[in-house]
Amino acid sequence: MTLQQTRDDSTTRRRISVTINGREAAGEVDTRLTLADWLRDELDLVSVHLGCEHGVCGCCTVLLNGQSVRACLLLAVQVDGQSVETVESLSSNPQELHPIQEAFHEEHGLQCGFCTPAMVLRTKEILEEKLDRTNEEVRHEISGILCRCTGYQNIVNSVQCAARKLRGDAPSQHGDGIAPAAEVGAFEGQGGEDPAPAPIGTGDDLTSHPRSENEEARA
Amino acid sequence: MKPPPFAYYDPTSVDEAVSLRAEHEFDSLILAGGQSLVPMLNIRLARPEVLIDINRIEDLQTVRVTDTHVEFGATVRQHHLEVDPVVREKLPLLPEMARYIGHVENRHRGTIGGSLAHADSAAELPTAAITMDAEMVIAGPNGVRVEAAQDFFAGWMSTTVDGDELLVAVRFPVPRAGTGYGFVEVARRDGDFALAAAAAQLTLDESGRIASAAIGVASITDRPVRAGAVERQLVGMLPTRASVREAAAAIVEEVTASDDMHATHAYRRHLAAVVTARAVTAAVARAS
Amino acid sequence: MTTTTTPDSTPNSAGDRSGTESVPAPEGSRHRYLGRSMKRVEDPRLLVGRGGYIADTKMAGLTHAAIYRSPVAHGRIVSIDATEALKIPGVIAVVTGEDCKAHMNPCMNFGPATIAQYPLAVDKVRYAGEAVAAVIAESRYIAEDGVDALVVEIEALPPLVDPFKALEDDAPILHEEHGTNLAYERTFVFGEVEDTFAGADLVIEDRLHWGRSAGMPLETTGAIARPGLNGVLEIHCNSMNFSYFVFLIATALKLPSNRVTMHPVPAGGSFGSKFTAHKVPTLAGFLALQVQRPVSYVEDRQDHLMNSDHHASDRYYDARLAVKGDGTLLGLDIDVVDDYGAFLQFGVGTHGNALSQGVGPYRMQNLRYHLRAVLTNKCQQGAYRGFGSEVQNWVLERLIDQAAARLGMAPEEIRRKNFIQKDQFPYKIPGGNLYDSGDYDAVLDKALGMVDLDHWRAEQKRLREEEDRYIGIGLVTTQERSVFSSTEFWYWFDEPAFPITSSPESATITIDPSGEFQVLLHSQAMWGNSPETVAAMVVAEEFGIDPAKVNIRYADSAHALPGTGPGGSRFTVMVTGAIRGASRKLHKKIIDIAAHTLEVPAEDMEITNGRVQVKGAPEVGQELAEVAATAYFFALNLPEGMTSGLEEQYTYDHPLTSLPSADRSDLGIFYPIMGHNCHIAVMEVDPDTGQVSFLDYAAVHDAGTIVNPITLGGHVTGGTAQGVGTALLEELAYDEAGQFKSATFLDYLIPTANEVPAMKMGHVETPSPFTEYGIKGGGEGGRMATPGVISAAIDDALREYGMQVRQLPIKPSDIVQTVLAAKAANGGAATT
Repeated sequence: MTLQQTRDDSTTRRRISVTINGREAAGEVDTRLTLADWLRDELDLVSVHLGCEHGVCGCCTVLLNGQSVRACLLLAVQVDGQSVETVESLSSNPQELHPIQEAFHEEHGLQCGFCTPAMVLRTKEILEEKLDRTNEEVRHEISGILCRCTGYQNIVNSVQCAARKLRGDAPSQHGDGIAPAAEVGAFEGQGGEDPAPAPIGTGDDLTSHPRSENEEARA
Repeated sequence: MKPPPFAYYDPTSVDEAVSLRAEHEFDSLILAGGQSLVPMLNIRLARPEVLIDINRIEDLQTVRVTDTHVEFGATVRQHHLEVDPVVREKLPLLPEMARYIGHVENRHRGTIGGSLAHADSAAELPTAAITMDAEMVIAGPNGVRVEAAQDFFAGWMSTTVDGDELLVAVRFPVPRAGTGYGFVEVARRDGDFALAAAAAQLTLDESGRIASAAIGVASITDRPVRAGAVERQLVGMLPTRASVREAAAAIVEEVTASDDMHATHAYRRHLAAVVTARAVTAAVARAS
Repeated sequence: MTTTTTPDSTPNSAGDRSGTESVPAPEGSRHRYLGRSMKRVEDPRLLVGRGGYIADTKMAGLTHAAIYRSPVAHGRIVSIDATEALKIPGVIAVVTGEDCKAHMNPCMNFGPATIAQYPLAVDKVRYAGEAVAAVIAESRYIAEDGVDALVVEIEALPPLVDPFKALEDDAPILHEEHGTNLAYERTFVFGEVEDTFAGADLVIEDRLHWGRSAGMPLETTGAIARPGLNGVLEIHCNSMNFSYFVFLIATALKLPSNRVTMHPVPAGGSFGSKFTAHKVPTLAGFLALQVQRPVSYVEDRQDHLMNSDHHASDRYYDARLAVKGDGTLLGLDIDVVDDYGAFLQFGVGTHGNALSQGVGPYRMQNLRYHLRAVLTNKCQQGAYRGFGSEVQNWVLERLIDQAAARLGMAPEEIRRKNFIQKDQFPYKIPGGNLYDSGDYDAVLDKALGMVDLDHWRAEQKRLREEEDRYIGIGLVTTQERSVFSSTEFWYWFDEPAFPITSSPESATITIDPSGEFQVLLHSQAMWGNSPETVAAMVVAEEFGIDPAKVNIRYADSAHALPGTGPGGSRFTVMVTGAIRGASRKLHKKIIDIAAHTLEVPAEDMEITNGRVQVKGAPEVGQELAEVAATAYFFALNLPEGMTSGLEEQYTYDHPLTSLPSADRSDLGIFYPIMGHNCHIAVMEVDPDTGQVSFLDYAAVHDAGTIVNPITLGGHVTGGTAQGVGTALLEELAYDEAGQFKSATFLDYLIPTANEVPAMKMGHVETPSPFTEYGIKGGGEGGRMATPGVISAAIDDALREYGMQVRQLPIKPSDIVQTVLAAKAANGGAATT
């Protein structure tokens, strides 16, 4: 914040140094500044979305020392010396998505995108704990983040798709029968028989979506 | 929704924190996990002159385990209760209960001491504390005092912690082997505050009768309460579906919560008996 | 006309959440891209957190506004003392309703002029949370400090919370100029209602209340306004539809319309909440003019909950249904009081939506509709997914379920008996609206194929008898009207002030000199839907090119052609019409250039696979890039009279609308592109706690020709989740003093992943004969049906206790108290 409110000492303004997405970030902050506002306004990490600012919606979720927390309920000074990850730690380049981001793209796990960075980070956290989960478990694990668009079904599918990608599963069961045969698998899979996805912007961001069954039917 | 101005202190020792408390008393608020306080700051329902952040006090982050007790420092995160094998073995009611505290993102940051000191009548940890006869360890200018959980909760979101004091730990006695436990909560959504919740710990004698019973109920009056009348009826009883239900019905006399947008008084009366009976039933099933 | 194309669900076992929901391209489809699930163009930027939302927008010298909101429901503003606030370093200005009154016109308003509203309350406050003053400061933190420092004196007046009390003679008046709290009243009678009811074998009668909820996107509404060059006020805003109404914002700000430019900003969800949201951009614009600096006003969650542009329908019904002994539906009689809150900003358009499908999918030609719109001390109403038609669906399905129960008919049986048959389309309903096409039996059949009702009915009996468990089955068949015509804004009035008949959408397609495609859309259309993906797919379809090669942009209002924006499930239909129109014009120019170059007759040429060529002799032709080079750089090679460039625009008007009759005995055609759906829910109810859960859920929708199955499916699941919220959780509540009780997300309960069922999904495609490609709108999705099917399933589970859902949301206490009352009446023991 640009102006100071009452007094000018360490109780109202501090210099902090934080590891953000693996790199050191330092700055001077008002002690009342929330972590979310610091990330958004000072570091331009605008993926940390403010949906409610009272800790319910979960859109501002970041990983603090590897654990998901609400960035609107932390003061920036509190994370001095600690490590914070935002979705940009997976990929900040729309043309080179992380496999979890790819999974959300393929499974239509987002509509407006406002909860998406939080959902992607939470997916990373739960899949690092355990890759094999029932849909029921996935629903419970993501229930701390509200999504108003999707009805969650395609987010569950995205999490399971991401798990398959991270396990290195062959993409076989995913896709017969929708797209013209020549295009099936055009973007699917992480090596192996199927070609890796072409970079977005060179013809792939609107590839046909080869899926014929709902993920939730398989679990 | 941005926090109001305050002076921020982050002491690194209990002594330092207590002397800040002594200096500022009720003009100060303690910031632990922040899952309840920071929303209140953001909404500006809380406007402290001074905010004392106790997260840098390493002493408060320790868990001390003895044969008879487990003592949690005030800023041990609630998530610890879900994942720690020692807690699971010695105090199995706590992991059973912990998953009902908000969502995991809240529990990663939210603290055991913070929830107890916040003293919401609908919250899980205070209910567990009174059920399990926990002891509160409170530091003040004259040293440390210990208070029974049942005496600690003084009314609507208030405790006996004085303006110059700080809750530093909570000590849970380890129940004797064979103690059964149950926790049942009904909320509008998973993760919401309880419309009513009940925690139970009980033991059976050799004949299968209830030898001892401790039952705490949340969200029915201004603070979590022990269901004394229910406990008295249960002790000596051979638990059946009908007998448990009949005993649990005694809780309705304790229900004072008035109608709100989520539950009517009449519904809460009914629900209090339902969750009490179900928690007791679960505990009986686990007792040996 | 009907094709059913969906792979059906895998059967699932009891309690197992499973489903299937994807759709293959129609077999033998004429389309190359339409009907195929395509990954969205919009996603990559969103996945890395670069959605470009209003709060992400940075600007040099930007200031921030925070709002002082009325602490009381009703009162007279006595004084606002800003002395202390202005002393705070960083506070720039305090703006009040007095400033608005002095320098503004009232906000845009489709209701009576005697119910005027400003973005900050003038003279009176009319609901708890209404904006009273704005503090502008160097940061939002300091602006809120300034709000805290304001000293506001308000003389409290008696609050009006109950709309029926507001209609009593001695009720205090909200708007003295209007003279009454009855903002609007009219009765429409279509057909022979009196005789029908007099002669009916059975009349079902009930009182129902649809409680107040709202779209409640996770991103609030926000705007940044900046006084720009040449006296032009620039407003960046995530409101939808502004190319339709920017001139009205200019009017409110007392600026010529060419001195206000609105810039489209993607929205993080809308669901109606940002449909025609005008107060936030109007206020930001006014504040910027006051301080002559850029001002950001982004609602925080409390602002949005208490004082968003609109809450949604809050209706009390006395409803009657006339039925023959054999289950034939004869007539419907609706008497509705709608609690509109303190203002009537959009008139009673939400009831036009109800009338557009007033008799549902059923052959019923007698309808009476008596509407009273009432003013109370609550936030004003507006749009939420369904725009009031979903409420009518719920009421009608509630009554039909009662009729079926009384006649001993199964819910699917009574519905099927009364369906409009597929050879009866286009079908004119009482009131005048037309249904374009449909095959309701096919939709029902498909849904019945996905949920084994025989199995569940047997389980219901067995679980009740053997395990003391209560499960219930609900089934509804409802309409999803799409593509509104603007006649519904005014046909309510005999002498409307502005009887508008246009609701167009436009598109501009540019093939640049390299042969690359640019599409310009002319309204702010991105709220989480897929306008860019749809546009890219349609352009690709028209030119036979790779959709990934199409770049999509949005016009600001200074550059925009006529456009209306998303709302009422119109955008996909309308933008497709616009793109197809522009494509046809572009085709002609391309062919004319190529024919001239190749010296072949134009009528022999076609465009396919991104190439213009001679039919039957594809080797004779040109790539589009070659044609583009000619068009831009070789004017002397162009046909006589043709000008340079390769860009065409097209404005697509509503495909089928007609004027109402002068006496309003016929309201005309105003919402004819008619989708349909069937939802089936199997639920378990715990009669001791009132908790409910889903055991099975299926949704089959018919949105005509499907553009992109996976995104249409997303609307169905998303709308269903919102329907779950409306039915079970969400409530914008006021207490008896008019205090707002839902001011945080701890009390306004949006469903989490735990509360929303795993769904099976299917689609039927009955193309519209009136739209390009036969597309119908499908954006409002599951919310059209879900409240009805949940109500029905809960009733069915607790039928022995006389459960009858009459009010939404259905709370656990409603369920338990019904059960307890029934047991008490039967002398039964209380249960635990």
